[in-house]
Amino acid sequence: MKIGALKESSRGEARVALTPESAGQIQKLGHECLIETGAGAAAGFDDQVYRDAGVTVVDTAQAIFEAAEVVIKVREPNDEEAERLREGQTLIAFFWPAQNEAMLEKCRAKGATVIAMDMVPRISRAQKMDALSSMANIAGYRAVIEAGNNFGRFFTGQVTAAGKVPPAKVLVIGAGVAGLAAIGTATSLGAVVRAFDVRPEVSEQIESMGAEFLFLDFDNAQDGSESGGYAAPSSPEFREKQLECFREQAADVDIVITTALIPGRPAPKLWLEDMVAAMKPGSVVIDLAAEKGGNCDLTKPDERVVSDNGVIVVGYTDFPSRMATQSSLLYATNIRHMLTDLTPEKDGVIDHNMDDDVIRGATVTHQNDITFPPPPPKVKAIGASKPKPKEKEPTAEEKKAAEHAAFKSQTKRQVTLLAVGGALMLLLGQVAPASFMQHFIVFVLACFIGFQVIWKVSHSLHTPLMAVTNAISGIIILGAVLQIGSGSAIVTLMAAISVLIATINIVGGFLVTRRMLAMFQKS
Amino acid sequence: MLSQGFVSAAAIAASVLFILSLGGLSNQEKAKRAVWYGIVGMAVAVLFTAFGPGIGGYGWLIPMIAIGAAIGAYLARKVEMTEMPQLVAALHSFVGLAAVFVAWSADLERRRVLAARAADGVMQEFSAFAALVATKAPDELAFLQVEVVLGIFIGAVTFTGSVIAFGKLAGKVDGKPRQLPGGHLLNAGAAVLSLLLAILYLNGAGFWTLLVLAGLAFFIGYHLIMGIGGADMPVVVSMLNSYSGWAAAAIGFTLSNDLLIVTGALVGSSGAILSYIMCKAMNRNFVNVILGGFGGSTGPAAEIEGEQVAIDAGGVASALNDADSVIIVPGYGMAVAQAQTAVSDLVRKLRAAGKDVRFAIHPVAGRLPGHMNVLLAEAKVPYDIVLEMDEINDDFASTDVVIVIGSNDIVNPAAQEDPNSPIAGMPVLKVWEAKQVFISKRGQGTGYSGIENPLFYKENSRMFYGDARESLNTLLPLVD
Repeated sequence: MKIGALKESSRGEARVALTPESAGQIQKLGHECLIETGAGAAAGFDDQVYRDAGVTVVDTAQAIFEAAEVVIKVREPNDEEAERLREGQTLIAFFWPAQNEAMLEKCRAKGATVIAMDMVPRISRAQKMDALSSMANIAGYRAVIEAGNNFGRFFTGQVTAAGKVPPAKVLVIGAGVAGLAAIGTATSLGAVVRAFDVRPEVSEQIESMGAEFLFLDFDNAQDGSESGGYAAPSSPEFREKQLECFREQAADVDIVITTALIPGRPAPKLWLEDMVAAMKPGSVVIDLAAEKGGNCDLTKPDERVVSDNGVIVVGYTDFPSRMATQSSLLYATNIRHMLTDLTPEKDGVIDHNMDDDVIRGATVTHQNDITFPPPPPKVKAIGASKPKPKEKEPTAEEKKAAEHAAFKSQTKRQVTLLAVGGALMLLLGQVAPASFMQHFIVFVLACFIGFQVIWKVSHSLHTPLMAVTNAISGIIILGAVLQIGSGSAIVTLMAAISVLIATINIVGGFLVTRRMLAMFQKS
Repeated sequence: MLSQGFVSAAAIAASVLFILSLGGLSNQEKAKRAVWYGIVGMAVAVLFTAFGPGIGGYGWLIPMIAIGAAIGAYLARKVEMTEMPQLVAALHSFVGLAAVFVAWSADLERRRVLAARAADGVMQEFSAFAALVATKAPDELAFLQVEVVLGIFIGAVTFTGSVIAFGKLAGKVDGKPRQLPGGHLLNAGAAVLSLLLAILYLNGAGFWTLLVLAGLAFFIGYHLIMGIGGADMPVVVSMLNSYSGWAAAAIGFTLSNDLLIVTGALVGSSGAILSYIMCKAMNRNFVNVILGGFGGSTGPAAEIEGEQVAIDAGGVASALNDADSVIIVPGYGMAVAQAQTAVSDLVRKLRAAGKDVRFAIHPVAGRLPGHMNVLLAEAKVPYDIVLEMDEINDDFASTDVVIVIGSNDIVNPAAQEDPNSPIAGMPVLKVWEAKQVFISKRGQGTGYSGIENPLFYKENSRMFYGDARESLNTLLPLVD
């Protein structure tokens, strides 16, 4: 089949859906690749590189639509592009079907199959084609870079001959993929990073990236992960608590990066005007939710605004496109993985398997039907694990009480054991002859010594311990030695056999222990 | 001929040496000296006893010792380190059998003395042990009978139990738990019969009672161990180790020999502690292990989501090349595949590349307590990078790569996460906390407990299928 990549039509979009690298992989699946001339130029791939990778460079978009069975691109199609789709053609792109119903209907009417990269379900098998995550990762990284660009000081704290520089304090709101990427980037630049998320179970991920999790003391903190790994809207009380926490932070932090999005809704307003006013002049707010209205009151999409008190609010919506080479590489790989799943036999034939959870989830029109929204996936989302309840640190008094109780119960047990043991000894002493009791004392003391000594044996020497106790238990030979001089033939015979096997035991046991111990060596 | 005073002094010396010998095993360096304490102690004990008063039969004694020593030395030299569990089990059976023989002999001597006393009280000259018996009062002789019964019973159970354990470990007997119809009722029946016989014997029945008693005990030993599966062998072998000690102690009472008593008690308590440690490591109690089978689950096991993802040597190698810290978790599978040398080569290469490589050993990994440590030592892995579960379990979270070689149940997260799992509560190595886990495994089978391992389905787990040694050998050249 022919796979054709279009040049992006929307203004300022620098990404491209096919890279020379992904083209090579797609060709291995048995497909043929086409690309519109100049499609990769803005991302740093010129036509010649594509030709070298075996891609046919075509002059117009029209030609791609005519030749290719599968059309791939980055952004959702515009009217003109949708008009060119034909029956049975497949389009793979970001589509946002929930917001683009008219476009969805248009594609359906054309009879085209549309696979929306933004609808890839969030299950582990589909991670390799999760373009939203790869783009969010880039956005998070780029957000920190933009912040650094607009921020007049170092990120990392330094003590120089010219004076001490405090580290920048960064607050990241929303610890999705973008938020985590921002945390990682900011910490590696040396900033002090704090992060907040409505889903308390991500605190572990936040801490693993090196940031401090701002924990809200709120009783029924909701379980945001129920909705398939994305955040859900929060209750008014929770929101109040949350804003209160942000207000406290506002005066302290230098850089705020907001990434809070709720699927299918406008972005929640979390960084209000008064918080911007409370920030120090020269501080920076990067709003990654600008496209959906912004988390900050002052955000204007695609613009850099400076507030009255000198706080810079950046509302760019094209962070991934600003790193077109990197984002094209990742997006093209996501597309390539999607094609791999669509071509199970690797024979260049597309098998659109609607029983497959991933393909079914991402397909929004198919065979003149609108197949959006998809049924819930059979496999649950990744983030569905319940957060562990925080264990309360016992207070010093509780600890003391617990220790005391443990000591008491231990004493009780030991005393009982001793009493029972003593009683048994007394009873035994009643019936047993004196000579037996003398031996018995030796026996009990030896058991005690044994217990004391063996507990100290290193775990790694348990096998040598067994071998050596084995050898020592060959002491049974003494019994046979004592009997072997007997006047009775049968006793002598049995004693002789016993001597033989006990000696095997002793010599074998000791030698093998020695062999083993000699092997243990220090590095 | 040495006097009794000499013999007693020697016994004290030997006891002290044995205690030092066991105590010295607290660390690897001291252990090399400790084994010499044991050897010297044993030599002192045997020499002074053999040349003590009232010992004869040197015509038998010396050749037997010579032959036995030759066989023992040969065995010790020839045995492979992977065969250690079998060897230990086989040696236990010898102690058990010797105990049975010695106890039988003791009773035969007692009968001779009694017969002589009955024959108008003319005391003939007795030699060896019979001479000692002749000095005993009637109540002491009655107690001697109790000791004989104990010696025979414990010795006989140890003997057949060890033989079966040997067979299972050597693969000569099927490792699966197997019992005759009737199960543990048969064992209980045999035990009750033994008790009846013992009472008969104490009331003056003939020597045949002791023979039948030994037969019944032989059966119990056989049937009990047949019913226990391969992976529980660490407990079984420690238990038999303990029994062989108690048998020796019982014989010591019979023969009024303190050295035997002390040594037997030392060995007995040592084995008991080892069994305890093993049981604790499996979160099961001793009775549960001995009676076989895992405890019943309290509900359906949690369903496992996800899929097992396989990986090839190239993938493992690139992950290892990128990693800074690596932990290797070996299990019985490594012993079966004889992969310890390959593991050692891999470790050497990784360490030469400046990576932090360590081993995590679960207490019940392998078929013998400390089995893995010995195998790794044989492959020249330095012991200071081989760590116990408690020492290393918190470090998994900060580790880049974990390689699990031939272990299953000891790395099963279900033990901690699923309260309905049959192994719930068993302490396990938390390998899943590492960034990446590679599991070298022959196929998709389950472990000894027969339950699925959710670890294999985790997102950071990759299955590295194939024979452990071959897999590692293909991996080696790819690591730089």
